[in-house]
Amino acid sequence: MTTRFDALTRPKTGDDPSAPSRLRPIGFGAAAIGVLAVVIALVANVAAANSATETGATFAWSFGLTVLGFGTVKLAIGLILVGILTQIWHRAASVEDACARLRPHVEAPLPRGTVQTEFGECTETATAPGPLPIHRMARTMWFPMLAMGYMLVVVGFVLSLVWAGKVDDGTQQAAQAWTQGVQFLGEGLLLAGISFLLGSILAALRESGGRVQESLGLPVRTLKMPKTAKLFVGFMALGLMVSMVQLVLYAVAAAVGDPQSFAAWSAWLGPFREVGLGLLLAGVVLALVTIGNVLAFQFARVREIIATGK
Amino acid sequence: MTTNYTVTDKGLGYARPHKMGNRLWGVTFAMAIMAFPVALVLAFVRAATVADASGPADIEDAARLGHLIAAFGFIGFGAVFASISFAIARILGRFRKGGGEVQEAAGGKVHTLRMPVTAKVLIAFMAMGMMAIFGAVALHFVAAAAVGTWSLESVARWAEVLEAVRRLGVALYLFGIAIGLGAVITVVRFQTVRLGQLTR
Repeated sequence: MTTRFDALTRPKTGDDPSAPSRLRPIGFGAAAIGVLAVVIALVANVAAANSATETGATFAWSFGLTVLGFGTVKLAIGLILVGILTQIWHRAASVEDACARLRPHVEAPLPRGTVQTEFGECTETATAPGPLPIHRMARTMWFPMLAMGYMLVVVGFVLSLVWAGKVDDGTQQAAQAWTQGVQFLGEGLLLAGISFLLGSILAALRESGGRVQESLGLPVRTLKMPKTAKLFVGFMALGLMVSMVQLVLYAVAAAVGDPQSFAAWSAWLGPFREVGLGLLLAGVVLALVTIGNVLAFQFARVREIIATGK
Repeated sequence: MTTNYTVTDKGLGYARPHKMGNRLWGVTFAMAIMAFPVALVLAFVRAATVADASGPADIEDAARLGHLIAAFGFIGFGAVFASISFAIARILGRFRKGGGEVQEAAGGKVHTLRMPVTAKVLIAFMAMGMMAIFGAVALHFVAAAAVGTWSLESVARWAEVLEAVRRLGVALYLFGIAIGLGAVITVVRFQTVRLGQLTR
């Protein structure tokens, strides 16, 4: 399974590295469709807010459509990240070739175990280190998370239509609760899928960097997992847990009969589910920051190899 | 792709958006981390108010708190999306600076990709998303302060319209992030091709 999903992120033999990514325009198109859905919901919402007649049904389906739009843009982001991953492997082949041809041929030093660099502590080994458990997990999980997340967002949109249909007779509470719970779990899973793809990018940078150094017969210098990466994993796990717990709590709220009690549950469940998404997004920030740091480390290493040959 | 770059003897280093990304991702990240818990605490207070509501004063309190919760929650979202955009700008800066330095070390001319259209679109959508979200946040504070002066119906209408505006802001931000990541693909592809040229 891991191999199958991982294969989607690697270039096929004979692929032209200078050819534009096919996933990039697909991702842009999907993102534009998502924004369009949100704009349609916005127009409906504003019109309903200014209407003298009952507006509850419009707010119900427009909520579902908005979250479906957000989900579509997040899926598009996932597709573009897969495109980045593929391009990183092309870049690795190019870096390997450039280093082999450009570096002065001097005797390689022996690995020193642990080395301190301006980018943090590194290990120096004779061979490229294998992937960390979190990298293996990221490579296995990104696809199921994106797929399940988008399916739940679509199911939630259908539930929002049921919610809209029940507004007139005042029996909408359960449908409302299930719509929100299901769609926000879907959003959480989509963000988790994006986080796993960012983790896969970090894994690809680590693996390709190690391979390049090993193929040149040099000590393989690998950055130890930075604090930002550890925090990224923590934020993502916490955010995912909150996203799952909020669904359970919405299921409980769906069974509350009294409208005042239901309003009280809704009053704190909305911000609670947003905290879950906020934690996942904070994790995404830290993953991107880590990628930036790893890239700076790799550029410095490539420069060193080209300049000194070791 | 092959003509859309500058040729210099030395690497160009960071451009202004990259420097901004380096400086501001942490500030906006900290803002987000602080804003979400404030919104959650206010939400618990509002839930208690709603559960025990028995008169007009309680309804007014709940309406005021509703606006404040949305305001703080979306300070959090606005800040975390800004932080993501700055972190992407930072990555693009790393490629520009690092790519230039590697070419310098190789002893050739330094080719630097001009800012791709997608990177400009990222900045534009980030600005629009930020204006929509933080504009709505400011108006939520206005509405919260006006509870008691305005009718409850007006306060509720504002909440509905501002919610729609906030959602549009989130969509614009997400779209900008998608486009910004597309710029990363362009930059990595350019560097891959350039590295190949260096060895010929």
